[in-house]
Amino acid sequence: MSEPEMSTSKAASLERGYRRLLAWYPGWFRRENEEEILAVLMACAQDGQKRPSLEASADLLKGAARMWLRPRPGQPRTVFAAVRLMWAGAFAELAVAITTLATLGSVRAAVMHSYPAAWHSAQVNLIGNAAEAPLVIGLWLWMAWANGKGKNRGRVALAVFFGLDSLAILAALSQDAVTYAPADLAVGAVQWLVALAAVMLVFNPASSRHYQYRQPVLR
Amino acid sequence: MQEATFLILTALAAGSQHGYGIISDVAEISGGRVKLLAGTLYTALDRLRADRLIGVDREEIVDNRLRRYYRLTPAGEKRLAAEAARLHSHATTALRRLNLAGGVA
Repeated sequence: MSEPEMSTSKAASLERGYRRLLAWYPGWFRRENEEEILAVLMACAQDGQKRPSLEASADLLKGAARMWLRPRPGQPRTVFAAVRLMWAGAFAELAVAITTLATLGSVRAAVMHSYPAAWHSAQVNLIGNAAEAPLVIGLWLWMAWANGKGKNRGRVALAVFFGLDSLAILAALSQDAVTYAPADLAVGAVQWLVALAAVMLVFNPASSRHYQYRQPVLR
Repeated sequence: MQEATFLILTALAAGSQHGYGIISDVAEISGGRVKLLAGTLYTALDRLRADRLIGVDREEIVDNRLRRYYRLTPAGEKRLAAEAARLHSHATTALRRLNLAGGVA
């Protein structure tokens, strides 16, 4: 079957629409398949169609979501899982920062009501946490990117991050932090567990080849 | 195996096909009941390639557009044959129990 004839401007408009939808797919998938999928989409288009149909749009977005949940070709499942954990680490840090900022007023009122003398140190702690959040989120995202790309410095950074995080948890426990900040410690423990799981996955023997092989794998 | 996957493998059973060809063939095999959309097709093709059930046969440029042909691998042929036999066995049993095997077939 041949592609229905369309005016150049309508075809260009439709192609732009499809490209915008295909932009939701992971980069590795687009590089390998975008031109081919576009050819199929254009071949399936109705005569005179100017923009993607709702059905095709939903189908492409659903496909994009599924592809984000799959490892790229040649990527071990262990690394894929570790990268998703690092994304989760970044997301958790963002959620904590937003919660901290959103509840600052009520926390202040509660502390001022029960322990007014502790407000200064609590304020320093809360603002410190919120201020370091962009840095920690950036670090999680960079580690996810670097490990996904098979860069060895990515997993070294993760190991260092995990080591520092472990020391911070131990320091907090030694200062009896659990007596005044159980929620903070719980969040720290979850982050520590996420980092631990990610470290175990990237240093798993099944992940080794990913960090040794640099060329993209073509299937 | 999902129906769409079965139909895609069936479309490739007689020879290599490109994406649009698979969509057309699946519609024909299913009597127009299954209309694959591109997103669904390429999600399935990616999975089938990862499972080594299909592979790329060749690529062409037609009207300045990439056309990639897919073919069944030996593992894909084996898997399709096994699935077809399973479905056939189930269908035969169902028809026999309905006492319709002679009339319908």
